[in-house]
Order: sequence, then C-alpha cells, then structure tokens
Amino acid sequence: MSTSPTTLIAVPDSLDTGTPPAPAGRRWQPQATHWAALSIAGLLLSWWALTASGLIAPLFLPPPQAVLARFGELLAGSYMDATLPQHLLASLQRMLLALLAAVVVGIPLGIVIGVFPLARHLLDPVIEFYRPLPPLAYLPLIVIWFGIGEASKVLLIFLAILAPVLIATAHGVASVSPLRQQAALSLGASRWQLLRHVILPGALPEIITGVRIGLGAGWSTLVAAELIAATRGLGFMIQSAAQFLVTDVVVLGIIVIALVAFALELGLRRLQQRLTPWHGQPH
Amino acid sequence: MSLLQVDKLGVTYPGQSQPALHQVSLSLARDELLVALGPSGCGKSTLLGVLAGFIAPSQGRVLFAGQPVTAPGVERAVVFQHDALLPWLNVHDNVAFGLKLQGADAAARERIVADTLRLVGLADVATKRTWQLSGGMRQRVGIARALASRSQVLLLDEPFGALDAFTREQMQQLLLRVWQQSQRGVFLITHDIEEALFLATELVLMSPGPGRIVQRLRPTFNQRYRAGEDVRAIKSDPAFIALRESLLHSLFRQGHEEAA
Ligand SMILES: Nc1ncnc2c1ncn2[C@@H]1O[C@H](COP(=O)(O)OP(=O)(O)OP(=O)(O)O)[C@@H](O)[C@H]1O
Ligand SMILES: [Mg+2]
Repeated sequence: MSTSPTTLIAVPDSLDTGTPPAPAGRRWQPQATHWAALSIAGLLLSWWALTASGLIAPLFLPPPQAVLARFGELLAGSYMDATLPQHLLASLQRMLLALLAAVVVGIPLGIVIGVFPLARHLLDPVIEFYRPLPPLAYLPLIVIWFGIGEASKVLLIFLAILAPVLIATAHGVASVSPLRQQAALSLGASRWQLLRHVILPGALPEIITGVRIGLGAGWSTLVAAELIAATRGLGFMIQSAAQFLVTDVVVLGIIVIALVAFALELGLRRLQQRLTPWHGQPH
Repeated sequence: MSLLQVDKLGVTYPGQSQPALHQVSLSLARDELLVALGPSGCGKSTLLGVLAGFIAPSQGRVLFAGQPVTAPGVERAVVFQHDALLPWLNVHDNVAFGLKLQGADAAARERIVADTLRLVGLADVATKRTWQLSGGMRQRVGIARALASRSQVLLLDEPFGALDAFTREQMQQLLLRVWQQSQRGVFLITHDIEEALFLATELVLMSPGPGRIVQRLRPTFNQRYRAGEDVRAIKSDPAFIALRESLLHSLFRQGHEEAA
C-alpha cells in the first residue's frame, strides 16, 4: 500500500494495484515452440558430436548424415522390397484401420458402460484383464486364432487403442455434471435427448483425449503387430534391419514413426481445440 | 390458487438414520416469491430436488396444480449456482434449448428467446459462448433459459451464491423485475439473510437435524422496492435491520443447540 498509515479511507490513487505490465512486443520473448526447437536442436547436435568424435562406432549409432543419406536413398530405392513411403503407407493403413475400428466400437460401448452401471460391472473385469497385458504376450494367441494375415496385425493395434478410448468415454459420460443433467430434464429433455444434447457433448473432450492416448498406445504396438509375417511396414523394416545390423535404417524407422505419430497427435490436439474450445475453461 | 403444494414432506436418504427433511409444509402461488433460508445442511437443496421431481418424497406429498409431482417437468424449471449451462452452445442457443427440446415452432421460439434475452439484458451477448461471460451474466443466462421454457414456476438453488456483493445486488433487482413481468411463482434458496428479506414475499427459516421449518415470515421490503423505494434505503431501514438481526439471532441459537 502506498497510503500512509494514518489514512483510514483509501484515496483513489491508492486503489491503483500497481503499474500496468510493460507493453508487449518490446522485447523478444521465447515461446513454447522456441524451447521445443532448442531441445530438438540440442539433441541433434549432441548426436552429431558424439558420432563425429569417433567415440561410438557407427554400428551402434550411425551419424545423422548417414541416416539422412539413407532417407534420401529409400525415398525411391527399396529396402526389403519396398521403399520408405511404401513401408510408411502399409503401417499407416494398419494404424488408421485399427483407429477407426476402435472409435466405432469403443465410443458406443464406452457410452453404454458410462450410462448403465450393470454394463460397467460386467465389462470392467474384461477390460482390466487384457489392458495391462503386453501385446507380445497375447500375440501368439491372436496368430493361432486369426492366422498371420492383415486381420491379426490390425486386431493387435485395435486392442491397444480400444482400452483407452473405452475407459475415457465411459469416464467422460459418467462424470457429466449431474446438475447439468437435472437442469436439462426440467427443460423437458427425454432420456435420448439428454444423451444426445447433454451427455455426449459433455463427454467429448475426454473422448478425444482417450483417442489421443489410444493412438500413442497403437504406435507402441506397431512393431509387435508387424512381427506377424509382414512384408511391409515401418515396424517390419526396423526388425529386418536390426537382424542385419543395418543401424541407420533402424534409426531412420524410429524417427519416421516418431514424426508421423507426432503429426497425428498435433492434428488431434487441433481438432480437440476446434471441437471443444470450452475444455479447461470455467463454465 | 397455489401452484405448488407441499404437505408434511419427509425425505430420508438411503442409509441415513436422520431424515434430511421432516414434516415440511409449504405452498407457492403464481404471484409469490418464496424464499427458503437456512444454514448449510438444513435440507434446502433436498427440498428443491423434491419440488423439481429429482428426489422422491419418503413421506407426505408434493402437488403441482393439484397433481402429484413424480418426475421433472417443464412447468418447473431449475436454476443452479453453476455448472448447469451448456458450454458448447452460445447464449442464444442455451436460452432456446428448452423450447427446442420441447419441439416448439421455430418462429415462436425465436420471438420468445429474443424477448427473454432483452428482459435479462443479454441481447448484446447472444452469440457469445457461456464460458466467455462473467459469473453474473452466466446466472442471467440460467434464469433466461428457465424463463424461455414453458415453465410456470422457477426453482432457484443459491443462484447468486458465487457472485460478488455488487453483482449479487444487481441480480436481486433483476430477479424481482423478472418475477414481476413473467408471472411465475419463484422458489429461491439462499443462506444470505439480506437477500432473503429483500426478495421474499414469503420466507421460511429452516433448521437442520432433521431439516425442518422453524419460522415463517411475510416481509414487505420487496413491495417497497417495487413501489419505487431505493434498495440501499430499504436495506438500511431500521425495520430491515431489526428483522435481519432477529433472523441472525435465530440462526446462531440453532447453532448453539446443535453444538449442545
Ligand atoms: N445424496 C445424498 N445422500 C445422503 N445424504 C444426503 C444426500 N444429499 C444430501 N444429503 C444430506 O442431507 C442433508 C441436507 O442436504 P442438502 O444438500 O439438502 O442441504 P442444503 O441446505 O442444501 O445445504 P447447503 O446450504 O450446504 O447447500 C445433509 O445432511 C446432507 O448431508
Ligand atoms: Mg444446497
């Protein structure tokens, strides 16, 4: 307080809560993306420095320029009978098919679990039983049951995406504010209208978050899925290269998966902001 | 004629030994503004829940226009302290929401929504999302939404509880204007004594353990305001202050008995 101790009633100028913040744009302020760029640049630089120093043999860690050269080469040329874009396309197809199936199955089922306690009691044990299992553990069973075709690969990824989508949807549906639901009922909403106009939009932010988490889980099972007699795919490419110790292809595959996964994640984040701009706001 | 009639209502929640409400009787007419005042836990929200049809009575009965209340209905619209608006809709669509659900004719709906928005002073922000508004404006949206629906009674659960003193006073005056112009019965819950005294045509003081009505008053300050007297003059009138202190005293006595 700038008033003297004897002033009992604040004079107007003492109501001033402080100097206004300095006008923006005067000084350059680093933003989140700048920090991210710095972090990536640091990583690349240390990678290059490590390999250039000769401390690490290229067999263990190839230099960035070797990986870049591989990238250029595989754009048109093939590794294991397919170019990099072809491997990528094969994996993307599996991922997107699995994602689509997980959304089509997971969201409606999640709604049922969220709305009906009985469905939750029945399905919760099933979901919690398979969810923590490593995909490699049940991979043999899937091969025995469904063969070594495309279906088994997609199924494995689907199962990984399904659990987070289901759980997030059920939780989102079950935690829609009861007051909001009561208010809608007293405005004349039928049960169906309540679901359609109040519960579903209310759960949407969480559903999208579930899809984002699910997609991450899906990518992490890609390599396992492409263990199943694949002839194309990024996971397959990495495994084959690993067997022949072609480390630069391994690193290239890892980087491509990371970049594509990140691009999809960014797309979903943007979608979430577009569809549910109120998310995280007090309302 | 009374719209809502509550006879010897009792509510005991499952697994609770003490009833949340015991022998509560009330009536609310179309031109009345009934206020329930009481400390936390005295069963105010439970009472509103029964009137709205969200909670079934354990004893006694609730009638709306002579018919037992068994479920939520459009004639009894609720307004809560927060959380009840739809943030994915703009102000206009929130207010139109009830009529849309009820399948009202679009032209009639637009007319009602426009009138209601004007009545509560929200015409300028019709296209804003609710989360872009101040707390006071959000409560106005809640009231407008309840008004635009085909409601005959408004049930308000501490609608101004989260607002600052200045906005709260503005909202109290807005509510009186709305109540007068819209020809609805209003049931309002509050734990603010001044608010209760200023607004009520009929005031019930409630007490917990079990929740019940311990005192009934018919304050006249609301009429004086409508007759043109200044709010601050009313609220600082010795008669107002005397009643306020007497109610405060009752509330504190309740607290002591509770502790004993
Ligand atoms: N769903 C419930 N299950 C069990 N007990 C409940 C439930 N809801 C309320 N109660 C109990 O019933 C009593 C009355 O609660 P109520 O919410 O009606 O009080 P209130 O007067 O609205 O309080 P506040 O001013 O804090 O909102 C309290 O003792 C409360 O703990
Ligand atoms: Mg309450």
